Amino acid sequence: MTTPQAHPGTTTSIDMPNATARSEDHRSVADVRHLTKVYFTRAGDPLLALSDISLTLHRGEVLALIGPSGCGKSTFLRILAGLDDDYQGDISWRRGSEQGRPVSATVFQQESLFPWLTVEQNLDVALRALGCAKPVRIERTTSYLELAGLGEFLKAYPHELSGGMRQRACVARALATEPLVLLMDEPFAALDAQTRVVMQQELGALLERVDACVLYVTHDLEEALTMGDRVALMGARPGRIKYTVDTDRQGMTRDDVMGIRSRPEFGEQVRDLWNRLAVEVGGNLRRHA
Amino acid sequence: MTQVLHSTDASVAQIPPEVEASRRSWARKRRMSRLEQVGLGIGVPIALIGIWELASAIGWIDPIFFPSPSTVADRAWKDAANGTLAGDLGTALRLTLVRLLIGFAIGTVAGLIIGLAMGTVRAVRFGLGPLVSATYPMPKIAVLPLLLVLLGIGDASKIALIAIGVFFMVALNTLSGVLYSSPLHHDVARAFGFSRPLYYRYVVIPSAMPSILTGIRLGIGQALILVVSVEFVSSNDGLGYFIWNAWQILDVPRMFVGLAVVLVLGALAAWLGDLAERRLVPWAKR
Repeated sequence: MTTPQAHPGTTTSIDMPNATARSEDHRSVADVRHLTKVYFTRAGDPLLALSDISLTLHRGEVLALIGPSGCGKSTFLRILAGLDDDYQGDISWRRGSEQGRPVSATVFQQESLFPWLTVEQNLDVALRALGCAKPVRIERTTSYLELAGLGEFLKAYPHELSGGMRQRACVARALATEPLVLLMDEPFAALDAQTRVVMQQELGALLERVDACVLYVTHDLEEALTMGDRVALMGARPGRIKYTVDTDRQGMTRDDVMGIRSRPEFGEQVRDLWNRLAVEVGGNLRRHA
Repeated sequence: MTQVLHSTDASVAQIPPEVEASRRSWARKRRMSRLEQVGLGIGVPIALIGIWELASAIGWIDPIFFPSPSTVADRAWKDAANGTLAGDLGTALRLTLVRLLIGFAIGTVAGLIIGLAMGTVRAVRFGLGPLVSATYPMPKIAVLPLLLVLLGIGDASKIALIAIGVFFMVALNTLSGVLYSSPLHHDVARAFGFSRPLYYRYVVIPSAMPSILTGIRLGIGQALILVVSVEFVSSNDGLGYFIWNAWQILDVPRMFVGLAVVLVLGALAAWLGDLAERRLVPWAKR
């Protein structure tokens, strides 16, 4: 078991006094420098999954990461989540004065609540893992589940809830740990189209209220442009950041999903991003053919 | 936020009054299907007993070796009235249950520990895996002579034999429960930095629980088979001896009374297993 406080990557540093000199950016919570990940095939041949990724995550910012399937988005997220510590490069977390907070918490693509625990217990056990005292656990469990609109379902078991409610509980569980960075791996990909839009509205409203840094992985262009303050486009084989763009919601809040999407500028951004993504997807297909 | 999801307007969406009739038919169907299940479960054995009774009355089967169910029941009733049933069978049952329960408890605890260790520690899995796989299919009664040499002819060797039988069932099922549990739940434990005690208590054991319970139920069956077998060959008391002795003195109705008791024990164990499953894995779909 690793602790989320310090992912034991060989070159990970946490707030080393001298390391901060590299970046003047006081808003940064995580610096990824020259991250490279190599897999080995059954035959023992090296396969470059991620190549030289450099990225800075900022306080209070939602960074949406898009890319063709198989481009290494999930691999990247697993490394940040501390689920894979076999990589080259450097990830440094800037915790500042907020010791005791985990560096990251993850919302997985599939439903990941423990079915043998109630919703409340699912959050409680995650907070116990952090070493929170009981009053803190009770306070956070209640307030974050209420924030996620599940205040009436504390004692319910996951199988008694709808798919959307379960995924909201997963978001609440991750937020309750109050991480530096919230990692979301295509959190709504398993939901139907209508529920997905509703969930985007609800998550949007939630993100307006909590000042968290979010890395939001998706393959949905419109979702990326609606949820993200910044969108990073990943190219495939090997996975690397090809293009980064700031989104402009023109003062609209994130939960106004349809409002954001009905602006003509939104359509232009989608088209522009699609043209760039299509090159990657097409290239990927040609390589497979 | 929730209003968006649950915005059913009660003034618009009224449940139509005709629903009462369909609710009644729905309840009747449910009752019938439950009745059907219980009725068949009890009815089929009763019908078979009826056929047996009939076959015995007509003379299709030899009443010396296959006494009619009514003869057996009559015998049990008479023995119960004059106290010999409570005396002989009661003592036999008590001795057998003690062996069964102690052996079962030892085998279950050992099987759980080894199964969990094999499931979570690679060195233990690789070290013990081949050994367990090789010894598992061996008929357990075949090691009785060895156990007699090691532990003597008393209860210890019998209890050990039962424990061995239960151990394999529980250990192997626990192992597969751990190995085939959802990798996602293990990822969650890792991503949220679970300590080892939290990991075992809230992830490993609950996710393997359905499989552990299967192992325990199979273990009870094994224990029952082994306790009767070992009392057949190496005992002068207990249920197995009661049955074997009745056969040797050709008191066939008495033998059937003994068999009936074993049957009831098996049914009781299955029922307890169901109960445990309902309590311990309420999330599992049935």
